Amino acid sequence: MRFVVALLLAAACLPARAQSQWVLAKSSLTWHISHPVHTAQGTSHAARGKGVCSQGECDFLIAVPLNTFHSGDSNRDLHMLEIVRGAEYPMVVVRTELPQAELSQSTFDANLTIQFAGQTAQYKDVPFQRMQHGKDVEILGTIPATCTDFRITPPEFLMMPIKNEIPVTVDLSWEPVG
Amino acid sequence: MCHADANLVVRDPGRDIAGLSRNPAGRIVVAYACLVAVPLLAFAQESSHPAVIAIHPAAAAISSSSSAVNEAALDLPDAPLPAREQNGGGQSQNPKPAQPQKTPPGANSGLTLQGLGFSPSQTAANAKLQALLNKRTHMLQIHQKLGLITLAPMVTTVLVSSGAKQKHSHTAVATITEPGSSGVDLHVALGSLTAALYGATAYYAIAAPKVPGVKPRGAIRLHRDLTFIHAPGMVLTPILGAMALDQENQGEKVHGIASAHQYVAVTTLGAYVAAMVAVSWPIHLKFWEPNQ
Repeated sequence: MRFVVALLLAAACLPARAQSQWVLAKSSLTWHISHPVHTAQGTSHAARGKGVCSQGECDFLIAVPLNTFHSGDSNRDLHMLEIVRGAEYPMVVVRTELPQAELSQSTFDANLTIQFAGQTAQYKDVPFQRMQHGKDVEILGTIPATCTDFRITPPEFLMMPIKNEIPVTVDLSWEPVG
Repeated sequence: MCHADANLVVRDPGRDIAGLSRNPAGRIVVAYACLVAVPLLAFAQESSHPAVIAIHPAAAAISSSSSAVNEAALDLPDAPLPAREQNGGGQSQNPKPAQPQKTPPGANSGLTLQGLGFSPSQTAANAKLQALLNKRTHMLQIHQKLGLITLAPMVTTVLVSSGAKQKHSHTAVATITEPGSSGVDLHVALGSLTAALYGATAYYAIAAPKVPGVKPRGAIRLHRDLTFIHAPGMVLTPILGAMALDQENQGEKVHGIASAHQYVAVTTLGAYVAAMVAVSWPIHLKFWEPNQ
């Protein structure tokens, strides 16, 4: 009977052992805007993220404070915060679910749910590249965001609005935990 | 579930648990059943994955249609449902269309902003700051429009300045030709309009609220620093112009500091245009590309 109890305990522990976690070690997120007069980019290295893999599926959460994006011009950064209501909604939150098997492929598509500027938008099949650096995994890709996705009125400069497309390039380095 | 099954089999004489425990083969059956059931229970309680969630209704369907479940079993109270199912959040037996704003993917996996190390103050809304940003942007947009409008009379004032200047002939006998009154009046009127619009433009930049803790960086800093050239220029230019006009009216050749009027004016215009270019830099003209 003691043998049976031991087996039961071992079986109950199996799901916990199958779980693995990832943590975002380094990140670079850059928005790009295009205007008839010029182009601009704003980059943040302050994203934090975590991934939990269990039963062949992985959930990832990445978040970045909007006020950590810097374009090299403090006026532009403040204007960006105003136009995306960055004080009311100070975080960009990205969630995704992935089959764990895809994490070992060199390219994969992900469905992203992005909370930004008080809106939530979903992007299907966003292509990403994966590169292995020792234990760490680097993920590269571009999220094809637009102003209209988040009901952002395109800001104007010299009375001309920016283009609707505001792609965000991501470069995320994940390291396994434990 | 294992315990409930044990209760069920107590009512069936052919599957008496006491008999099973005495029987070595029965012990193996009970142990095997529990071994299978425990991991399934653990998955169902811990995971939010739909593929695993589907086990629960399927198991219920099997148990309700099974011949092993007799009338006595139906009298048993239902096992309590997990709290998330009772609240209808995320693990409904009848899947509904995704509502990402309420339950985004992974939201039930325990991943939270606090779990990432963000403090509540970092993630909390700040309506006061948003109002300040809105007001700042509103005032600076007016500043920008007035600044563009100001450029037109400023350039025109410089262009028509030749009509307001004395003409000097460099022949054997030096003569001075005074400007026509209409030329002078036009130059003075445009200059006054420029000064008024410039003052309004400056007001909206100065009165726009400052965001605490943010120091000017990048192009906006150059834009601001150029103010130290064109703002004094905008004060000096009309004063020197009035002095020059006064000397002209007295039939004198413009002399002294008044003779610097045009140089100060052109420098002011140059600094003003540079300030506008600074906030547009680097310029990559792409007017031919569709905007949407």
